[in-house]
Amino acid sequence: MLKINKLNAKIDSKEILKEFSLNINPGEVHAIMGPNGSGKSTLSNILSGKKGYEVSGEVLFEEKDLFEFETEERAHKGIFLAFQYPLEIPGVNTNIFLKTSLNAVRKARGEKELDAIEFLKLVKEKSKELKFDEEKLNRQLNVGFSGGEKKKNEILQMSLLAPKLSILDETDSGLDIDALKIVADGVNTLRDNKNSFLIITHYQRLLDYIKPDFVHVLMDGKIVKSGGAELALELEKKGYENFH
Amino acid sequence: MKEQLQKDFDNTIKNLTLSQRDIEIKKFYLDNFINKGFPNRKEEDWKFSDLNQIIKKNIGELSFYSDYTFTNKVDTSAFVDGLEHNKIVFINGRIEKIDFDYEKKDQIEIIDQSETINKFNNNSSLSDLNSAFTNKSFKIVVKKGYQLTKPLIIYHTTNSKIWSKNINLRLNFELYENSSLRLIDLFRDTSEKNFLNIFYNFDLKENSILKNYKVDKFENKNIKYSFNNIEQDKNSISETFILSSGSNFCKNEINCNLNGEYSSAFVNGIFSINNNKHHEIRTIVNHLTENTKSYQLIKSVLEDSSKAVYQGKIFVNSQAQKTDGYQLSKAILLNKDSEFNAKPELEIYADDVKCSHGSASGSLNEDSIFYLMSRGLNYQQSRELLINGFLLDVVEKITDPEVKNLIKNMIGIKE
Repeated sequence: MLKINKLNAKIDSKEILKEFSLNINPGEVHAIMGPNGSGKSTLSNILSGKKGYEVSGEVLFEEKDLFEFETEERAHKGIFLAFQYPLEIPGVNTNIFLKTSLNAVRKARGEKELDAIEFLKLVKEKSKELKFDEEKLNRQLNVGFSGGEKKKNEILQMSLLAPKLSILDETDSGLDIDALKIVADGVNTLRDNKNSFLIITHYQRLLDYIKPDFVHVLMDGKIVKSGGAELALELEKKGYENFH
Repeated sequence: MKEQLQKDFDNTIKNLTLSQRDIEIKKFYLDNFINKGFPNRKEEDWKFSDLNQIIKKNIGELSFYSDYTFTNKVDTSAFVDGLEHNKIVFINGRIEKIDFDYEKKDQIEIIDQSETINKFNNNSSLSDLNSAFTNKSFKIVVKKGYQLTKPLIIYHTTNSKIWSKNINLRLNFELYENSSLRLIDLFRDTSEKNFLNIFYNFDLKENSILKNYKVDKFENKNIKYSFNNIEQDKNSISETFILSSGSNFCKNEINCNLNGEYSSAFVNGIFSINNNKHHEIRTIVNHLTENTKSYQLIKSVLEDSSKAVYQGKIFVNSQAQKTDGYQLSKAILLNKDSEFNAKPELEIYADDVKCSHGSASGSLNEDSIFYLMSRGLNYQQSRELLINGFLLDVVEKITDPEVKNLIKNMIGIKE
């Protein structure tokens, strides 16, 4: 599904990713762990189309050159990024945003756009599953939401847009244990033999609830070690220091 | 210009039945205007908007006489749909219709003041111009305790029959004790290159409420100046909202005198302009007695090479203890060629007051755009959503729900 081959990325002439390679097949869950500044967020930004990076190398999504697509086209094709710091958008009603987003994606995928009633039914259902306070749907997007609510809102968006590849950028940070379980449930519900996940995290904690197929250790812009779920446990014990 | 003014003035006078004394007064104003000419940047109030240059550049030679002997047909399709309202219709500066169908007839009085000359609380030469040339003027009186059931919409319509013309309008409003009026000024221009010079005076008696919504939304190539003088007695409230968008140039000036205790004034506005448009809002709120309040919020979205100016002044005299004055302006510049000028002024002579002001301008937040685009919205949709979100809180300040909806629809804010 996603093939990254020798990806280099620079910002302001600072090298962040160095010959980074990774393959994700349909249905697989990959976790990337690494210390601060190792390039985790850069990777997720580049995959979802954020501007401002100087990149070389190859990224294929479903055999097509990802760099050919604008940010919104990537969303249409099924790439979703759950932000580490979801933005507050004053004056924009959450429901209207969600509906605009869902219909933009549906339209691009050749599916019927949902009317207000169909949308409300769906969003209420999903909110309930994620224990996302429905009252928040009528508030301004993320404005005044707690850290946990913002993250749940990301997962709500993910579950509405039903992406093929979901990238979770430190979605676990700032979550209490209950919220963590809810977020994990949201991911596990979407998990099947077609949908893939790239989970970026500092801690092993989230991986107790979302069991990864592969764990990669990212340091200084490259993967220094890959393994199964047990690698996360090893990391937790030994710390990143021992991988230098 | 002098000869043109003299000739057009003589023609204007001919159609009025004025006493010799009134003619002399009008002549006095004409001479004042001839001496001063259009305001230019040497005047402090006009330093960001040199009207003299703007008229020269956009219109060239103006003519000042309008033949009002024939009537214009009122195009009812231009009326606002879905909102029952009273109406006054101006077409090319001529009043074609006054209709208070929804109101009790004996509670509203309309007085023809065409043959009276009243001085305006405005020192600019535009006031002289207006006094010299206005040939039809009304006073609208809302009687004691009467609250109009429906809003009044004043349609300022111009069409292609006029070109390079100066049009002068003036209206007087008097709101008696405990009365209220919702007034919407709606500009609809299909004409080009004219200069509209509009003067309103409002007298708000005790406990009265005025809500004035000025809506210049439709694209046009005219130049406008609009002056509101608002005198406020005890406990009265004035709410002014300005949507400044459609005209090539538009300057709204609000002068508000809080003469009575517990009176309050709210001025909120939106600049939403593009191309080479140049718009200004100038406010002066005078706190002249104890316990008065004023609040101003101006938000701007500026595209292309447009330019917006906000000069907001809060004046507090030595008697006006316990004044509460506030003003804030925020601007988003969408293009490096756009320009926003803010000049806040606080002039305070009392010691027990609460006054503050703030001003911020910047560009659209690229991270927010990225966030929205990563959810499948294209750039245009993302931008629109952010801009509407930015403007929403000004629109939310509109206290009349019907008018709020009308304006939300005009701007394209979805519920």
